[in-house]
Amino acid sequence: MSLFRKKKRNVKKPQLLIPSKAAEEKGDTPTSSSLMVKIKEVKELLGNNEDLQIKQIKIFGQFPAASVCLSSLINQDVLNQDILKPLMYVPEHIKGKEKPINELINLIVTETVYHSQAKVGENMDQLIELMLRGESVIFIDGIKESIHIDTRKIEKRSIAQPETEQVILGPREGFIESILTNIALLRYRLPTPEFQVKTMKIGRLTKSTVAICYLKGIANETVIEEVEKRLSEINIDAILDVGYLEQFIEDNPFSPFPQTQSTERPDKTVANLLEGRVAILVDGSPFSLLVPVVFNQFYQTTEDYSSRFLMGSFVRLARILALVFSLIFPSLYVSLISFNPELLPTEFAVAVAGGRAGVPYPAVIEVLIIEVAMEILREATVRLPKQVGGALSIVGVLVIGQAAVEAGLSSPITVVVIALTTIGSFATPTYTAAFALRMLRFPIMILAGIFGLYGVMIGVIFIFNHMLSLKSFGVPYMAPVSPEDSQGMKDVVIRSPLWWMPKRPQFLRSSNNDRLGLNDNKVLEHNKVGNDQREDAANGGSKGDYNNSSDDDLN
Amino acid sequence: MGDPKEITTIQATTILISTIIGVGVLPLPLFAVRAGETSAPFVTLTGIFLAAVGLFILAYLGMRHPQKTIITYSQDIIGKWLGRIFSIFVIAFFLILTSLAAREFGAVVVTGVLRETPLEVTVIVMLLLASISCRNNINVFSYIHNFYVPMILAPVLIVVAFSLKNANLLYLRPIFLGNDLRGMAAGMLTVSALFQGSFIITMIIPSMKSPKKALKASFWGILISGGLYLLIVIATVAIFGPEEIKQIFWPTLELARTTAVPGNILQRLDIIFLAVWVLAVFTTLFSSYYFTIHSLKELFQLKDHKMLSYFILPFVFFLAMLPQNILHMYEIIQYIGRAGLLITIMYPAFLLIIDFLRSWRRGENVAKQT
Repeated sequence: MSLFRKKKRNVKKPQLLIPSKAAEEKGDTPTSSSLMVKIKEVKELLGNNEDLQIKQIKIFGQFPAASVCLSSLINQDVLNQDILKPLMYVPEHIKGKEKPINELINLIVTETVYHSQAKVGENMDQLIELMLRGESVIFIDGIKESIHIDTRKIEKRSIAQPETEQVILGPREGFIESILTNIALLRYRLPTPEFQVKTMKIGRLTKSTVAICYLKGIANETVIEEVEKRLSEINIDAILDVGYLEQFIEDNPFSPFPQTQSTERPDKTVANLLEGRVAILVDGSPFSLLVPVVFNQFYQTTEDYSSRFLMGSFVRLARILALVFSLIFPSLYVSLISFNPELLPTEFAVAVAGGRAGVPYPAVIEVLIIEVAMEILREATVRLPKQVGGALSIVGVLVIGQAAVEAGLSSPITVVVIALTTIGSFATPTYTAAFALRMLRFPIMILAGIFGLYGVMIGVIFIFNHMLSLKSFGVPYMAPVSPEDSQGMKDVVIRSPLWWMPKRPQFLRSSNNDRLGLNDNKVLEHNKVGNDQREDAANGGSKGDYNNSSDDDLN
Repeated sequence: MGDPKEITTIQATTILISTIIGVGVLPLPLFAVRAGETSAPFVTLTGIFLAAVGLFILAYLGMRHPQKTIITYSQDIIGKWLGRIFSIFVIAFFLILTSLAAREFGAVVVTGVLRETPLEVTVIVMLLLASISCRNNINVFSYIHNFYVPMILAPVLIVVAFSLKNANLLYLRPIFLGNDLRGMAAGMLTVSALFQGSFIITMIIPSMKSPKKALKASFWGILISGGLYLLIVIATVAIFGPEEIKQIFWPTLELARTTAVPGNILQRLDIIFLAVWVLAVFTTLFSSYYFTIHSLKELFQLKDHKMLSYFILPFVFFLAMLPQNILHMYEIIQYIGRAGLLITIMYPAFLLIIDFLRSWRRGENVAKQT
């Protein structure tokens, strides 16, 4: 074998010009001073492209130069008005001034071009990369350095309401694909120096900008470091969405449960940053990735917090019920029907038996058939064009359901059970978590078919044990419940009033826990309003704001 | 010991509660009534006291050696080899305890719910569940216990609360001395044998955040689990009366059967009770299984216990299949339980005395030298 390999290695491959490699080879050598050589070099690398735009000009009417850019990426107006015009048409204030060639660059950058992002670069490798990112480069004959100016203009859609997480009460903005806009959406909600954005480039070909956002002094430092470490170890050709990152940084990739949360909502992201989490944004993806997560946040929505606490708690209880439904309802049905019909009230048991009279299969097979049909239907509805979707899904559900019952394929109660389950799984606000439970429904159903209620319990215990053993960036997955955390518990089953939760949840090990400030209210002294409503208003509370230094006596 | 010490006092308490409350609850009233007739609650109470003494001794020992479990500190106290020999006894006892718990539960399931399923299948499923869960570290172990405790306590309390309307207080008299003392003493031993799971405290103490609070945790642990046991005995005796209980294998299950939920949502409660009871049995089994492999790991000074988890599965299963029928099984359980008290109470007491003597002598030596 080794002999063969050696031979193979000696065979010379035909040389293929790969632009990025060629550029890299040229990397360290500065560009030559001759304009023609520089243009030739660029043409060698990018000449095949229709949108390569090379415009030869004479700066101030005397120095030959060229502006080079990819016309598809840039804003032509900016290039014409702010760059080419002042270069070709000598501005008033430097008319008649002596313009020596060795100070030309300086003169152009500081006095001529009306653009804040004008910089000087030298290496061809770097210049090409900048060009590919939408900058215009100005080569000047006789000067090694070149000027590059950010003239990028990329079409982006406008900010719209998030499709996957809609709320009745609360902000309507959603992230879009452009990372700069997304960071702006966060920054405008957090005008504080604590809000930090670190960026890095991931992806050998896509060179996607990845931003790690957190609140310094609130997010746990070790978590931030861990996020950076895990991200920096990714080496892949393309990152097209945060989903790619998620799969690289999660703790247990084989678990059905999501260990990061992705959201389209800037307000949700900010709320999570404020709890001490870290958000990861990727250029080109309208989702932010939040870590570390715990299970209970998958059934929480921002709406819970923006509505009054009774409303929020009630809705949350309903959601938890839906979650439980979507996991075990069909298997409970199977085990009651086929193992312990004596548990049901007699009249109902008779009705069920009557409905099942014509069905040839055991309950578990029947439920599985309908479940699989439902899954297919659901997947199909997502793919269908909008115009057909609504009509077809109604046809699918109603007609197929009715027909299945009449054909003796399933009993009416099975259809009811499956419908409840499906609706239940849609009530879970997080798509990924709902998906996990949807998948786990099947093994439990099979267990229920074999062992009845005992099987359901075994399945549920197994799932819970797995969830209890999961960790997301060092935080136990079931955190406020077990290991117990009294602050966090106030926000699990019900959504306690905001003034009951003066501290951030402890399980995120935030370095600053104070949420509410101690704020005596003067206006309505007879009435307890605002922060005064909380139980230990007299002794608790934070000093100052989120600031860690704790000695500033703002109150 | 790579795991951080994160077990809180509450977690230690909940571990104790969920470990103690196990399959033993089902036949408990029968054991108590056989020994004490109408004074079954009194027998239970004395049994709880005996178990509490054993638990406190263990907790105290653990606090004196906060970095070690009984497997390791026994080697310090009575010498390497003697300590190891006793440790083997302890491990073997817990191996048997695990298998008996699995078997007992399997028997309940097979007679109560799944009449056509072979006993072996129900037992192996339960054991598999425990052995897979045992592959986690001790922190996850405590999270699991902590999570399930409310779900273990709730069904018992609900059943007791709903059934009390049929209670007849006359069944509970005479409170003391319903039977001869010998019988009551034997019953006391049997009842306190049901608390043997509390031995797990010795494994937890080294991983506790503050081992000083082990005594507090064990106090609350025994108070809550003991209170629940006492409640069950009082409720069953007050409802069925001693004579009837003697005819029933699992009086607690019978108690659940007689209770009806208002509104007739479900016709029978006993099956739901049993289903939720799977949790209680699982946590007990999980504890003794975990204790067995954790101790084996410490005895052989291995780095990791994960491998052992599957390794001892066949042994446990084999032991679980040894009893020929339910009667035989309960004979063995009572016998093993009482013999086990030697290991779970006498052995720690013996260790504690020697430990005291040693530290006293050391103190004297120091005094002499100065």
